[in-house]
Amino acid sequence: MATLKEKRTCGQRCEDFGRFVWNSDDGTCMGRTPEKWVYISLYYVAFYVVMTSLFSLAIYVLMYTLDPYRPDYQDRLKSPGVMVWPDTYGEEDIEIFYNTSDKASWMKMSNILHKFLIPYNDTHQHGCNNFNCTQGMYFIQNSFSGPDHTKWACPFMQSMLGNCSGLGDPTFGYNSTMPCVIIKMNRIIDFLPSNHSDRPPYVNCTILDGKDNVDKIEYFPDRGIMDMSYFPYYGKQAQPTYVNPLVAVRFSLVREKQAKIQCQVVSDKISYQNVHDPYEGKVIFYLKAVK
Amino acid sequence: MNKKDTYNMFEMDGEMDKKKKKIKKKEKLEGMKKEMDIDDHEITIDELEMRYNTSVSKGMTSIFAQQVLERDGPNELKPPKGTPEYVKFARQLAGGLQCLMWVAAVICFIAFGIEMGRGNLTSFDNLYLAITLIAVVVVTGCFGYYQEFKSTNIIASFKNLVPQQAVVIRDGKKNQINANQLVVGDLVEVKGGDRVPADIRIITAQACKVDNSSLTGESEPQTRSPECTHENPLETRNIAFFSTTCLEGVATGVIINTGDRTIIGRIASLASGVGNEKTPIAIEIEHFVDIIAGLAIFFGFTFFVVAMFIGYAFLEATIFFMAIVVAYVPEGLLATVTVCLSLTAKRLARKNCVVKNLEAVETLGSTSVICSDKTGTLTQNRMTVAHLWFDNHIHAADTTEDQSGQSFDQSSETWRSLARVASLCNRATFKPDQEGIPIPKRLVVGDASETALLKFTELTVGNIMDYRNRFKKVVEVPFNSTNKFQLSIHELEDPLDIRYLLVMKGAPERILERCSTILMKGQELPMDEQWKEAFQTAYMDLGGLGERVLGFCHLYLNDREFPRGYRFDPDEMNFTTSGLCFAGLISMIDPPRATVPDAVMKCRTAGIRVIMVTGDHPITARAIAANVGIITEGSETVEDIALRKRIPVEQVNKRDARACVISGGQLKDMSSEELDEALRNHPEMVFARTSPQQKLIIVESCQRLGSIVAVTGDGVNDSPALKKADIGIAMGIAGSDAAKNAADMILLDDNFASIVTGVEQGRLIFDNLKKSIAYTLTKNIPELTPYLIYITVSVPLPLGCITILFIELATDIFPSVSLAYEKAESDIMHLKPRNPRRDRLVNEALAAYSYFQIGAIESFAGFTDYFTAMAQEGWFPLMCVGLRSQWEDVHLQDLQDSYGQEWTFSQRLYQEYTCYTVFFVSIEICQIFDVIIRKTRRLSVFQQGFFRNRVLVTAIVFQLCLGNLLCYCPGMPNIFNFMPIRVQWWFVPLPYGILIFVYDEIRKLGVRRYPGSWWDQELYY
Repeated sequence: MATLKEKRTCGQRCEDFGRFVWNSDDGTCMGRTPEKWVYISLYYVAFYVVMTSLFSLAIYVLMYTLDPYRPDYQDRLKSPGVMVWPDTYGEEDIEIFYNTSDKASWMKMSNILHKFLIPYNDTHQHGCNNFNCTQGMYFIQNSFSGPDHTKWACPFMQSMLGNCSGLGDPTFGYNSTMPCVIIKMNRIIDFLPSNHSDRPPYVNCTILDGKDNVDKIEYFPDRGIMDMSYFPYYGKQAQPTYVNPLVAVRFSLVREKQAKIQCQVVSDKISYQNVHDPYEGKVIFYLKAVK
Repeated sequence: MNKKDTYNMFEMDGEMDKKKKKIKKKEKLEGMKKEMDIDDHEITIDELEMRYNTSVSKGMTSIFAQQVLERDGPNELKPPKGTPEYVKFARQLAGGLQCLMWVAAVICFIAFGIEMGRGNLTSFDNLYLAITLIAVVVVTGCFGYYQEFKSTNIIASFKNLVPQQAVVIRDGKKNQINANQLVVGDLVEVKGGDRVPADIRIITAQACKVDNSSLTGESEPQTRSPECTHENPLETRNIAFFSTTCLEGVATGVIINTGDRTIIGRIASLASGVGNEKTPIAIEIEHFVDIIAGLAIFFGFTFFVVAMFIGYAFLEATIFFMAIVVAYVPEGLLATVTVCLSLTAKRLARKNCVVKNLEAVETLGSTSVICSDKTGTLTQNRMTVAHLWFDNHIHAADTTEDQSGQSFDQSSETWRSLARVASLCNRATFKPDQEGIPIPKRLVVGDASETALLKFTELTVGNIMDYRNRFKKVVEVPFNSTNKFQLSIHELEDPLDIRYLLVMKGAPERILERCSTILMKGQELPMDEQWKEAFQTAYMDLGGLGERVLGFCHLYLNDREFPRGYRFDPDEMNFTTSGLCFAGLISMIDPPRATVPDAVMKCRTAGIRVIMVTGDHPITARAIAANVGIITEGSETVEDIALRKRIPVEQVNKRDARACVISGGQLKDMSSEELDEALRNHPEMVFARTSPQQKLIIVESCQRLGSIVAVTGDGVNDSPALKKADIGIAMGIAGSDAAKNAADMILLDDNFASIVTGVEQGRLIFDNLKKSIAYTLTKNIPELTPYLIYITVSVPLPLGCITILFIELATDIFPSVSLAYEKAESDIMHLKPRNPRRDRLVNEALAAYSYFQIGAIESFAGFTDYFTAMAQEGWFPLMCVGLRSQWEDVHLQDLQDSYGQEWTFSQRLYQEYTCYTVFFVSIEICQIFDVIIRKTRRLSVFQQGFFRNRVLVTAIVFQLCLGNLLCYCPGMPNIFNFMPIRVQWWFVPLPYGILIFVYDEIRKLGVRRYPGSWWDQELYY
C-alpha cells in the first residue's frame, strides 16, 4: 500500500507505463501475452461480426416493411413550407438586395431565378409531363396509368409566370425597380391544400414594413393561384417528373425602395402561425433596390 | 507488577528518524524530544518556588497568576487547527472525478470559445455542457459537504462541554476556579475522583493514586508521592499528568506545564504532524480516472486523425477532439458515487458508526489489519472480579457488562466467609444518589480493585453499605507498600457475640504467610503442604490469566484477650495478625467487552488480522488477547515453545510460533526490517507497553507490508496512530477528544462489534460501487457513438448534448444508486479482504466489457431505432449518409427526402429531435436490462432474485415514468428537445435489451462453470 500511496515521479510513471506496454518478465504486451491478444481479438471480431449482422438484419427487415411510394408517417409534415427565390440570405433573414446600376449585383439575382426555372423550361415540361390536366380540381389518381408504372404529373411551364417568366425580360425586372420573386410551396405526399375544390390556394403578399415604398403587387399566374390539379403529390417513385406549381410576384418599388414582405400561401389547410417554423405556410423577406 | 521494563514515551529509535521523509515533522519530533528534558521533578522545592515565583504554602499571587495567564494562554488543549470550512468544501470539489469534470468543463469553454470565434452563434451546447459539469461538481460537493457537516455535528455533540473545576490556592486562600484559568506555578489540590488539571509536581500526597490509562493505556493505578523516584519525568512518582484521573487520596502540587505544553498536549499535537493518507477508494477512483482519461484521449485522438483524414479543417477536428474527450466524462458518476457512499454512511450511522469522511465508508471493507487498543476498546476499562478460588476450586464470576452471564455456586459456607471479608475489608463507597443506575455503572470512590470488589459484593451479597453498618468497624489499617495488606476489625452483627472479627486482604503470598488454617466447605482445616500447593497452583493459574489476585483471610479475635472496648491501635498493631484463617482468593481483571470475542472471530473469518497494541503489561495483554481470540487456542509464542520443548528461546524456529507478544522495550531495539519480519511470521501479534510513537511505527510497518490498516483506540496516546492509519476508529463514549479528532470513524456505542458491521458494509459498497460504475460507464458508448458516426459518416446527429445530460443526470441516476441496495452475492464476510494491488474498483475487464460489449450492443440498438424513426418519416438509411451539411443548412428550406417530399429547416430540426428522443428511449430500454444484469457479477440474476431489490424495481419504474414524462409532456420539444415519439419506437430496442440479458447470463454461466479459465479472466470484472 505504501508504494501505492507514494507520489510517483513522472519518470516512474513513464517506467510503469513502459512496463505496461512491454513486460519482459512474463512476456506480456499491454497486460496480455501475444497469444492472449490473438484470442481476445478473435473474440471481439466474432462479437462484432455477429452484432453487425444482427444490425444489418434489423435494417433489412426495416427496409422490407417500408412502402416505396409513401412514408409510414408524416409527423413533421403537417403543413408545407414556403420559400422565395432568389434565396439570398443576409445574417439571418432572406435579403433580396440589389443595385440596379451594378450589373453584377442584379445579374446574380436573375441568374438564381434562371437556374431555379430550368426544370420548368416549357419544352422540357412538354417532354416529360405531356399530360393535359383538368384545371380547377384535384388530380386524384388511384392507378399507375403513366409510363413505366408511374402516375401522371401536371406540367408547370415557365411561360405560365407571364411577365416574371424571364422569357420576355431575362433580367426579371432586376435592372429596374420592379423585381420579380418566385414563391414555391414545398410538396408533401398526399397533401390536399384545401377542403373546398372551388377555392384553390393562392399566394398573398403583404408589406410588413415600408408600405409606402411598394406601389403595386402583381401575381403570376393570375391572382397567384396554385392550381388544384397539381395536388396531391404522389411521391418521387410514382411521379418522378412532378414539379411544384410556382407563383411569381412582381413588386413596384418606389421612394426608399425597400420593404419587409410576407408572402403567404392562403388555404384552409395550410397553417402559417407556427412560431417555431418561420417558413411554414409563409415566407418573410426583405426587398431592397439601390440605384 | 513493577515497572521493571523501562519505558520511555518519546524514545525515538534511529531507524525511525531516518525513515521520516518530512523534514518538518522530524524537526518537530526532535524538538519534542528536547522539550522532554524537564527537570522540575528533580529540583528541590525551594528551587521550584524560585523558578515559578510561587510558594508551596500560599500559592501564587492572583496578580502574578493573571500576568502568567496572559503570557501562556488558558490551560486547555487547543483543538487541532480545524480545517477551515472553506478548505473542507474545496476538498469536496477536488477529488479525482471532480478534477476530470473540471478539465472537461474547461475544454467545453475552450470549444465554445472557438465556435464563437468562428461566428457560429447557434451552438450553445458546449456552454450548457460546461455549466452543467460545473453545476454537477458544485451540487455534489455541497451534498458531500453537508453529509460530513452533519456527522461532524454528531461527533461534536459528544464532546464534554462541562467546564472542569479545580481547587487552587492563591494568595494563601483556597478557591475553586475553572481549570482553564490555571497557570504555571499555581498550587493546586487534587483529591480522589478529580481529573488532574495540568502537569503537576507533587508537593504533598496522602495515599494518592492516579489512573494513567488515558496516557499510557495501563489500567493499573499508579502511586503518586512527593519523592523523585526516576530521572525520567514519565517514570517518576512526583509528577501527575494532565487529564489523568486521581483515583484516591489527596495531593497538592505545583503546576509545571499547562495546556498544549503538557505531555498529553504534546501527544495530541503529534497527531497533527502525521499526514493524512488517501483513502483506498480515492486511490481507486484515481485509477479509474486514469483509465477514463486514457481512453478519452485515445479515442479523441483517433477520431481527430480520422476527421483530418476525411477532410475536416484543423479547427473543426480540434472541436471534435474536445467533444469526444468531454463525452467520455461520466457526468452522472460523481453523483452516484457520492450518494452511494452517503447511503452507506447513513446505514452505518444507524448502527452507531459515524463516519467523518464519506470515503472512509469503504476503507473498512478493504481493511486487512486492525490494530486495536486494548483498554476501553477491547475491554470495558473497569476492573471486575473475574475468578474466585475457594473450596479448592476456581470459580468464574460473571464479567459481562449487563450481568447476563452465568454465576457460580454460592451455597458454600466458605463463600459466605469470603464474601464477608471482601465486603468488610474495603474502603470504597458508592457515590450518593445512584439508586436507579445499574450496579456496574455506578460511580465509586476508591481504587480500581476495591471498586471491583465493592461492585462484586453488592451484586452477590446485596446492599453493602447496610451490611457494613451492621458490622461496625472498630479499626482499620490501610494498604501500604511495605505491608502489602489491608485489614480492619469489626464488631459482629450478633449483639450477643462479643468477639471481634479481623478481616484482611492483600497480596496472596503475604496473606498465606499469616494463615495457619484454611476454610474448606465451611470447615477450618489446618494449612498443610497439600493446601499450600493447591493455593500455589491456583495463584499461578490466575496470575497466568493476567489477573490481579488478592488473598482474603479472617480471624475471630479471642474475646478474653480482646474484650469489648479494647483499644486497637492501627500504628502499633497491638493485636494478632498471624494464625489467621484463609478464606480464598479473588482475582480481578479488566474484562473484555462481551461482543468482542465474537467480533474478533468474525474479523478472522473475514481474513482480517487483529493485532493488539496496548500500553498495558505483556501478561495482561496476552491474557486479554487469548480471552478475545486475538491469540487463538493452541497458538504458542516462541517462549511457549521453548518452555514446552525445554530448549533455549534462540533454538526455536520462529516460524513455528503463531503468536507473538512484543513489548515496547523489545520493540525499541528492533529495526523496521525486524518488525516487518515479525509481523510477517506471526499471524497473531500482541504489542504491549508501547508508546504512542511505537504505535505509529507498528501501523507504518503494517502499511509497508501492503496492508490497509484500521486502528481503534480511545486514548490520547492512540491519536497519532489513529491519524496515521488508513482508517482510525475512535470510541464515542470512552474516547478522548484528541482521539475523536484524529479518527475517521467513531463508534458511538463503543462497541467493537460495530467494526464488523463496518467491514461488511464497506465490502458491500465496494462491490456495489463496482456494479454502479459498470452500469454508468456502459451508456457512455451509446452516447459517444452517435457523435462518432455523425463525424465520420455525416448522418444527421442522432443524439444531442442536452439529451445526454438527461440520461446521465436524470433518468439513470436513480437506477445506478439503487444498485447500492443490492444484497451481497455471496457471503462477503467469508472472503479475504481485497488485494489493493489486484482487486481494483474498475479494472480493464470491467471497462472493456462495459464499453466494447454491452455499450456496443446498446449503440446498435440506438442506431436501429434511429434509422427506423428516420426511415419511417421519409429518410432512408442510405439517404442519411452524407446528408449532414444539407440537413444542417439553416438556409435550405426545401430539402428533399427519400420520397421527394420537401422539408424546411425547422421540420428537419424537429425530426432531429425525434431522433434524439428515439435514441434516448433506446438507451433507456437497454439500460433497464443493463441494471438488471448488473445486479450480479457472477450469480445468475435468477439466483439473486429479480424483485428482491425493491429500490431497484422502483428505480426502473421511475426511470420509465421520467422517460415518458420527458417524451410526452407538452412543451418539451422546445425546452429540452424531446419529441412525443410514436409508441412502437419504444419497442425497437427491446430485442437488443433481451440480447444484453441473455449474453450476460451466458457470460455469468461461463464464469461460474469455468473459474480461472480464459473466459473468466477476460470477462469477469
